[in-house]
Amino acid sequence: MLRELFEWVEAFPSSLSLRESLNGYVYCLTAHVASMGLVAGLIGFWDMRLAGLALRGIRVTKVQSGLFPLMFVGLGINAITGILMVYAQPMRYYPNFWFWMKMGMLVVVAVNAAYFHMNIEKSVDKWDSDPIAPLQARVAGYVSLAFWFGIIATGRMVAYSGLVPQWWLDLGLGS
Amino acid sequence: MLQPFFEWMQGLRFSAFFLESVWPTPIVQVIHLSTVALFIGSVLVVDLRLLGRGLIDQSISELTRKVQPFLLWSFVVLVLTGIPQMSSTALKQYYSPFFWWKMGMVFFGLIVTFGVRRYIASKEEGYFGLVWPKVIGLTSIALWTSVTIGARLIGLLS
Ligand code: HEM
Repeated sequence: MLRELFEWVEAFPSSLSLRESLNGYVYCLTAHVASMGLVAGLIGFWDMRLAGLALRGIRVTKVQSGLFPLMFVGLGINAITGILMVYAQPMRYYPNFWFWMKMGMLVVVAVNAAYFHMNIEKSVDKWDSDPIAPLQARVAGYVSLAFWFGIIATGRMVAYSGLVPQWWLDLGLGS
Repeated sequence: MLQPFFEWMQGLRFSAFFLESVWPTPIVQVIHLSTVALFIGSVLVVDLRLLGRGLIDQSISELTRKVQPFLLWSFVVLVLTGIPQMSSTALKQYYSPFFWWKMGMVFFGLIVTFGVRRYIASKEEGYFGLVWPKVIGLTSIALWTSVTIGARLIGLLS
C-alpha cells in the first residue's frame, strides 16, 4: 500500500519536474541541513534544561518561550524542504532503511513532546525554577536528546543506502 | 602554495584507512553533523540574546559564561571530526571553492564569536549602546549559517 502511494506520487508531473530540475535538490538539501542546526540546536538546549544538563539557573518556562519561536521557524523550513525532497524522489527513499528509521524516530520525538505537553508540563509551576526538574521531565529531556541525535545520525546515513542490515536488503524493496 | 600540504595529507596512511574501511567515514560524518547542531545551538542562544530576544531574563555576560563550555567543546569536536574528512578527501577539498569559503567563514566566525562577542559580554550591558550588540548578533548568525551552507555544498557540488 505504502509502495503504491510512493509510486503514485512519483508519477505526478510536479514531482517529475522537481526531480529533473537542475538545482532543486541542492537548494532543498542545503536549506534542510542549515535549518536542522536551528531546530536541533535550540531543541537541544531546551532538552538539556529539562534533563538538568544546561541553563539550570533559568526558569523552564522562560527557556521555552525564549527558544521556541525561532525553533519553530527552523522546523517549518526543515519540514518543507524535507517533504519536497521525498516528493521529488519518492522511490529513492522508499527502499531506504535509514529513511524509515529516521521517520520512526521523528514519531518518537513527536509523541514524547506531546506527552510532555499534555501531562508533565501541567505541573510546571511547581518546578519552574528548580535547577533539576522532576524525574519525569528529565526523562522526557533525555529521550528527546537521544532521539534527536538518532534523527541526525540516520538522516546523514540516508546517503549510505547499501550500508544496512542484510535482512533489509532481503526484503527486496528496491526492485 | 598549500597544494603540497594537501597532497601530503591525501597520501597519509591515516587517509587511506578512512578510504579503505567502511564504517569510519560515516561514523565521523554523523558525529560532525550532530555536533554542528550543538554548536549552532550554542551560538544562537547568545546571538538571540544580543538581538534582545530569547533568554532575556539573563544578562549577556551570564548567558555567555553558561554557554561557553558547550561552544568550546563542540568546536573542538568539529575540528577533530573535520580533520579525517578533510585528510581523506584532501585533493577534492583543495579544489573545492566551497571548502575555502567554509574555512574563511570559520576564521571570521571564530573572531566574532570568541573575540568580539566575548568582549561585548565582558562589559556592562548598554556599554555599546543598543545597535552594536544587534549588529554583532546578526553578523555571527550570518557567518555560521554561511559556514553550514558552504560545508554542505562541498559534498553536493564539488
Ligand atoms: C575547522 C574545523 C572544521 C573542519 C576541518 C571541517 C571539515 C569538514 C569536511 C572536510 C566536511 C566534508 C565535506 C564533504 O566533502 O562533503 C565537512 C562537512 C560539514 N561540516 Fe565541517 N569542518 C569544520 C568545522 C565545521 C563547523 C564549525 C561547522 C558548522 C558550524 C561545520 C559544518 C559542517 C556541515 C554542515 C557539513 C556537511 C555535513 C554533512 O552533510 O555531512 N563544520 N566538514
